[in-house]
Amino acid sequence: MIMITGGAYQGKAAWAAERLGISENCIKSGRSCTPEEAMTAGCITDYQELVRRLGDGCTDFTSELCIRNSSAVIIMDEIGCGIVPMEKSERVWRENVGRCGCIIAANSEMVVRMVCGIPTAIKGDMP
Amino acid sequence: MTTLITGGSKCGKSSLAERILDGFHGRKFYIAAMQPFGEDAFEAIERHRKMRQGKGFETIEKYTDLHELSFPADSAALLECVGNLCANEMFRDNEVVCPTDAVLRGIRSVSESVSELVIVTNQVGSDGVAYSEETSRYIRYLGEINRCIAGFADNVIECVYGIPLLLKGELSC
Repeated sequence: MIMITGGAYQGKAAWAAERLGISENCIKSGRSCTPEEAMTAGCITDYQELVRRLGDGCTDFTSELCIRNSSAVIIMDEIGCGIVPMEKSERVWRENVGRCGCIIAANSEMVVRMVCGIPTAIKGDMP
Repeated sequence: MTTLITGGSKCGKSSLAERILDGFHGRKFYIAAMQPFGEDAFEAIERHRKMRQGKGFETIEKYTDLHELSFPADSAALLECVGNLCANEMFRDNEVVCPTDAVLRGIRSVSESVSELVIVTNQVGSDGVAYSEETSRYIRYLGEINRCIAGFADNVIECVYGIPLLLKGELSC
């Protein structure tokens, strides 16, 4: 499994396409794919949005994904570095994204963090 | 040795902090700065309590004035977290005051009286949201406090989804 993280619009998907050869047709968006599609997708973008849609079951689902789709590329925004949201559902989502991100990172052989389009391998070695 | 650990929400800061003190053989103190107000706080306190169970920490609840604490010789402390401490010092007595001096004085004092200190803080300035004047001040104060602690800390580590990134010094675990 490979994880690509960083803030929004830092060039995560572009890097995946260019350096990992991810083609359009194997990409599923976390905003719209079904949980079952995620289990077989070559690449899932906006995983933080799938976490939002999964709600309480997100950590169990993520652990299962790491087993069943262990060759996937997971693209996920880093969203936890702000003020604790006023809205309870936003607080729960933000914490869930943190927990799921830790699970994916622990199961990834490589984690890349993108800043301004520049990748840094924070786990493993860059291809 | 003083180590500062920063990062966003639920990124494994506490686990890392506990791991750093795993090999410490003297008495270990956990300084809890989160005040048990509201359901979320209770949940968080309970979760952290369970995480620490069996790891040999003696808990001290201290929400402000950390300089009043004293520790036995050759002990270690884990302070969690500067974000709470900053809010507690800032909004005490129903008025908003600049918390920087009080927070730093307290942390320096603890740092001088224990042989190993691990401090957990938060990154709160990266969501680009325009907040009220009070919240904006809180973001600024916490940023300034973090910079000052990082200045005197031996080690500074940022956690990203459980992965420790070394920003200063060395990672001892």
